[in-house]
Amino acid sequence: MKFSKRLKSVLPVIGLAALYGLIMLLKSMGIANNYHIQILMFAGVNIMMTLSLNVVNGFTGQFSIGHAGFMSLGAYGSAIITTLILKPSVIPASMQIPVFLLSLLVGGLVAAMVGYLIGLPTLKLKGDYLAIVTLAFGEIVRAGLRLIEPIGAARGMIGVPNYANLAWIFLFVALTLFFVRNIIYSRFGRAWIAIRDNEIAAEAMGIDSTRYKIISFTFSAFIAGVAGGLYAHVVSFIQPDTFSFVKSSDLLVFLYAGGSGSLTGSIVGALLLTSLPEALRFLASWRLVIYALVLVIVMLYRPKGLTGGYELPFLRITRKEIYENRKKKLPETPLQETEEGEM
Amino acid sequence: MATILSVKNLTIKFGGLVAVEDFSVDVQEGELLAIIGPNGAGKTTVFNMLTGIYKPTSGSIEMDGKNLVGMRPHQFAAHGLARTFQNIRLFHNASVVDNIKMAYTLHSSEKFFPALIRTESVVEQERELDMEVMRLLKIFNLDQQANLLSKNLPYGPQRKLEIVRALMLNPRILLLDEPVAGMNAAEIDEIASLIAQIREKFNMTIILIEHHMNFVMPIADRIKVLDFGKTIAEGNPEDIQMNPKVIEAYLGGGYHAIA
Repeated sequence: MKFSKRLKSVLPVIGLAALYGLIMLLKSMGIANNYHIQILMFAGVNIMMTLSLNVVNGFTGQFSIGHAGFMSLGAYGSAIITTLILKPSVIPASMQIPVFLLSLLVGGLVAAMVGYLIGLPTLKLKGDYLAIVTLAFGEIVRAGLRLIEPIGAARGMIGVPNYANLAWIFLFVALTLFFVRNIIYSRFGRAWIAIRDNEIAAEAMGIDSTRYKIISFTFSAFIAGVAGGLYAHVVSFIQPDTFSFVKSSDLLVFLYAGGSGSLTGSIVGALLLTSLPEALRFLASWRLVIYALVLVIVMLYRPKGLTGGYELPFLRITRKEIYENRKKKLPETPLQETEEGEM
Repeated sequence: MATILSVKNLTIKFGGLVAVEDFSVDVQEGELLAIIGPNGAGKTTVFNMLTGIYKPTSGSIEMDGKNLVGMRPHQFAAHGLARTFQNIRLFHNASVVDNIKMAYTLHSSEKFFPALIRTESVVEQERELDMEVMRLLKIFNLDQQANLLSKNLPYGPQRKLEIVRALMLNPRILLLDEPVAGMNAAEIDEIASLIAQIREKFNMTIILIEHHMNFVMPIADRIKVLDFGKTIAEGNPEDIQMNPKVIEAYLGGGYHAIA
């Protein structure tokens, strides 16, 4: 009993490590090459971006279509640290990892701060209006970065040290999933879902909707910033136009094709739709047609997304789990036996 | 009895239309005040002003000597005014337990960063909240449906859930907007006993809007009658039933009593 419980909590970690081991094995056997690894790393970054978007669009019910803007702020924020300020040539090799982590934190914080400042005046807007503002925000960031000469203006930044490898990506995707899941099953996540389901009722039930929307937006921007930082250290080269509206709309596609409001959906959507265009490369130019066609078919037959609201066991927290006390046994639990429709 | 809510000369205009004019009432602790009146009389508009959804053009809403006019709805809720809606407004994609937990947001002391890593103390808080919610659900006989999505509940229990959710706010005044609209006789009886139970167990002050006369008359301590935004009568149920102005406004001429 006790052992099985402990096993349950470490199983996701073991699973992730096993998956990583498998990929490395495939690589050493020559079945997977660097190109495959690269795609997996992009997919990981996209999973984080989709989760970030899911917090705002899927759980809080707002509509951001400028998320690439936060990603670029994070990418530039962290690249400035590792490429311009604490570049590899001026720091000892042992400091590379701490500097890399510091840069990701800075990237996240820059994005979160801007998210907070943008959210403050705009989150009173609803639906379409908020969408337009976030769209404009994304374009302002892109256009602004094109004008700043010290960071390469429109040419972009080259020579960003490629600190990020697959292991780091794995770690950060796992951390993001862990954090997002925890917050969804807390007072904050419940407030977001209440706002999404019925904002008037949420307010009438004492939920300060503006405040919780700002928290959602800031949290989401932080994740997007860290994801952007990772991206910069995967590709070594970033330029403002990478983070255009096209990037934002790709993320929306990942979110809704996978299933908004579901963490599993974000993983499936981002993973599948990042690798699909690559898998279809043999079709040459036709691949984009097929890719779009696949999307149409998905949305027609799975309007709630591929996962349709399903959540993997370790990505949800059931009511049963909060009664599984590790220290003392509770005399009686008011739990009902039927477990249905958690969240 | 002490006055806990003092409403003075509440007036709201939409463009040129005066929807509610000079609505005044002193609500006494523990009483059940009913607001009745024909369709379009402005009853729900009064509720929307009392919960901050509409801002009155003039007038004041005072609790503890503080004027609440101009505050946002969640601040009205924080001051102890909890309501239900005429057209049910549940959080449809959340389970029954979660619907009620959502109304606890205001009182919850969970902090963001501990919640992020889900510390032992957060789990403890979640557990206590869950037990509290289950106690409440058990009182109102909804515990069997605890894990059901609220949208999958039948109509009657949905109305009931909305009332229980409002109670979770631990309010000082409960405002019920047509709690038995669209219900059959058996369900109406159930809500009537539910309201009696709430008054008995929680000593709750209740303001209620309703059409069904035979539902309102036995449970109300005091009735205010609205017609075209104006208060046309006020008094205990017996007086209201006899009041010719009420009979006229409500049923038109020709009727001599309200059944």
